[in-house]
Amino acid sequence: MRNVASAFALILLIGLAVLLQMARDARFPPAPIDERLLYVTSGEVAKRLALSYDALVADMYWIRAIQHYGGERGSDRPKRYDLLYPLLDLTTSLDPRFTVAYRFGAIFLMEPYPGGAGRPDLAIKLLEKGIQQTPERWEYYLDIGFVYYWRLSDYKKAAEWFQRGGDLPGGPWWLRTYAAVTLAKGGDRQSSRFLWRNISESATDNDWLKQNAQLRLLQLDALDQIDQLRAVVREYQRRTGKMPQSWRELVAAGLLRGEPLDSSGSPYVLDSSTGAVTVSEKSNLFPLPVEPTATPQAAPGGKTPPVS
Amino acid sequence: MTAVVPRIAVNVFKESVRDKVLYNLVLFATLLIAASYLIGQLTAGQDIKIIKDLGLAATSIFGLFIAVFIGIGLVSKEVDRRSIYSLLTKPIRRAEFIVGKYLGLVLTLLVNVSAMTLALYAVLGYMAWRAGGWMMPGWDRPAVDPLLLEAIALIFCQLMIVTAVALFFSTFSTPMLSAALTFGLYVVGQFNADLRNFENVIDSKPAIYLARALYYLLPNLAPLDQKAAVVHGQGVPLMYMLLSVAYTVVYIAALLLGAVLIFSRRDFK
Amino acid sequence: MLAIRTEDLTKDFAVGFWRPRPYRVLDKLNLEVGQGDVFGFLGPNGAGKTTTLKLLMQLLFPTSGRAEILGRPVGDIEVKRRMGYLPESPYFYDYLTAEELLGYFAGLFGYRGQERDSRVSRLLDEVGIGNERRLQLRRFSKGMLQRVGIAQALINDPEVVFFDEPMSGLDPLGRREVRNLILALRDRGATVFFSSHVLSDAETLCSRVAILAGGRLVASGAIADIHAFQVHGWELVVSNLSPLLLETLMPRVTRATPISDGRYSLDLPLDPPPERVLDELINGGARLVSLNPMRRTLEDFFVERVTHEPNRRVDI
Repeated sequence: MRNVASAFALILLIGLAVLLQMARDARFPPAPIDERLLYVTSGEVAKRLALSYDALVADMYWIRAIQHYGGERGSDRPKRYDLLYPLLDLTTSLDPRFTVAYRFGAIFLMEPYPGGAGRPDLAIKLLEKGIQQTPERWEYYLDIGFVYYWRLSDYKKAAEWFQRGGDLPGGPWWLRTYAAVTLAKGGDRQSSRFLWRNISESATDNDWLKQNAQLRLLQLDALDQIDQLRAVVREYQRRTGKMPQSWRELVAAGLLRGEPLDSSGSPYVLDSSTGAVTVSEKSNLFPLPVEPTATPQAAPGGKTPPVS
Repeated sequence: MTAVVPRIAVNVFKESVRDKVLYNLVLFATLLIAASYLIGQLTAGQDIKIIKDLGLAATSIFGLFIAVFIGIGLVSKEVDRRSIYSLLTKPIRRAEFIVGKYLGLVLTLLVNVSAMTLALYAVLGYMAWRAGGWMMPGWDRPAVDPLLLEAIALIFCQLMIVTAVALFFSTFSTPMLSAALTFGLYVVGQFNADLRNFENVIDSKPAIYLARALYYLLPNLAPLDQKAAVVHGQGVPLMYMLLSVAYTVVYIAALLLGAVLIFSRRDFK
Repeated sequence: MLAIRTEDLTKDFAVGFWRPRPYRVLDKLNLEVGQGDVFGFLGPNGAGKTTTLKLLMQLLFPTSGRAEILGRPVGDIEVKRRMGYLPESPYFYDYLTAEELLGYFAGLFGYRGQERDSRVSRLLDEVGIGNERRLQLRRFSKGMLQRVGIAQALINDPEVVFFDEPMSGLDPLGRREVRNLILALRDRGATVFFSSHVLSDAETLCSRVAILAGGRLVASGAIADIHAFQVHGWELVVSNLSPLLLETLMPRVTRATPISDGRYSLDLPLDPPPERVLDELINGGARLVSLNPMRRTLEDFFVERVTHEPNRRVDI
């Protein structure tokens, strides 16, 4: 009898402890991460402090980095990514072979705000560190080339890096091909598609990278669809001399079969004053990437990419 | 009847004094004084902050070691040495034994932490006097800042929880294992916040529930660490203090109840 | 009301790690000790005596059966106020002095101030601890710790006292003192229950005994009544015995053991009375050294019982 009462009291106390924590967290929401957790900002110092548990501590920083990105992405607070690079730097200093940290880091560092930190320079810096540590990883060359291609529109540099990656023992043959294609065609949407597809396929050990690359591919598809939709809008204009006010008008005119949806299921948005078409803000594909601008020396017969 | 508990507690305190546990205070004071002298030579203006950081951190660490190393032996030592045979046959209940032992160690910690606090304030006072005033331009807060006491109170809460954990393990396991488990839970308790943030990142529902459950059930020590906030001049809101202290008390009660339940049915071979 | 009573008291220990099997250490012990008795609880090492005492002190919990002290179940707090316990090879807090230890325990009983101090002082005197009482217990020898142990068992003037091997670690002088102390307790009307593996201790003190072997009670009652311990012969030690005289006596002697030149130890049967043989020896010029009754020793008894004990592991 006394045992039952004691067990009951124990459960009651534990429940009360849980409630108190919930109450405190509700009144004083704990910050997901803050500077004091980065008390050590230098990778070298961290390495010494971690004694022989480098890899484990690297994992901890890695988790922090993901939460940081995840937390920032999910919340409604104004987004800050200023801790992303230091966290990645710490992670990779502690565990220089932590491949996915370099690659993940690069992608989200280079993405423009609010999708990422908007710092392609830091992305390159991180990847160069990776190359220094493990020069045999051709993926880093691919990624650096990609930063130059996708964000900095520097096709010459991009091609250089693709070439170097392809020249490595073990480097895939298509990198060299790609170097040539990049030089020739510049910011072609097909090239971008090819590149993202390769990243998706080379990211065998990490879902983040794969999912991100696949998202990019869907976004490129959306851009294609937008081009088609704008052609439809122009046709309507040509026929009626006015801007369409909504998709229904286009459906009524027989130019569309129904309200156009993007691959994530959200309807496209028609700006009735300018005729521009974009994805909805609620769509998973928002915001659409800014495509690299055309190379000044476009190859003869090459398409100039549309300005979105 | 419950006059027994204070007697047992005082006995634990006496033991820790005679085991020269309080000599750690000498080490602590020496450390602080030496550090203040060295740092004063190196930086200008930031030394007050650094001494505060160092003092609070050292209080926490020294306290932690005392809590663990005495805590793990509180029960197991008596059982191994068999001094418990003559004690339990006196008119005391096993529950009173456990509570008395716990309060005795808390008393030891209280004396320790109080002494360290005084030492810290003394050093800060001396530094302020040397610098020429209680509050100088360039300092966020005065040197001898009563706000530090808020952080120290929460540090003490942390120590009380760690002690209760050590005592709990001591009722049924060997000192080595108890030490490992207690330190382990301490480390986990510091990183508890990471468990809470899992849901921002992971999509698997079961994993989220598990992380949440662990967050609430394991000793949640990180929110009791407000050292940085206090040094920068951010006080701890009253409600936060109250809820934290309440959590501490309730969690400790649960641990002690668990310890009593285990201990009450134990055979002493 | 009986001072101590056990009813089918049984204790099994689980032995083995992977599939623990019960190992029966005490098997259905039934004991009764009246108030005022001095009760000897005898048995070889490993018989289960300490286990029984621990069960009575509620340091162990029985697998089945019950026990009562002064009519209340063991572990009752009020009963603990009226009893004292000396554990085997006691160990106390070595950072305390003898005075402080007794003061601490006295405080647990509720004694305070002047009364507590005078009790402590009186008890330390009784057990023969003088100025050492201000030394820390870590400096005490085994014998002195035993004395402190006895003191702490008596600090509350208990009605029932339990001693586990009270003579161990003591020199002959100490053993005599303990013996006297137990007698003094008896004279005060207390019940004394003590365990021992030495028969002679029980002989001089106990009104009744119980003998435990292999976890089972094999005999209990007044010593004189226990058949096994009755005298079965005499041991006669003489000196100046000539070989010739020895020859003539040999038929009436069960065994003759030479000790040294002229000195022999002769085992004589119960019947005829040894005085006759002694007469002949004296008249023949030999000199008496000692004449002692021979009993089966407790050890003989145990050996015989144990080799006849069935295997005590219980397979369930």
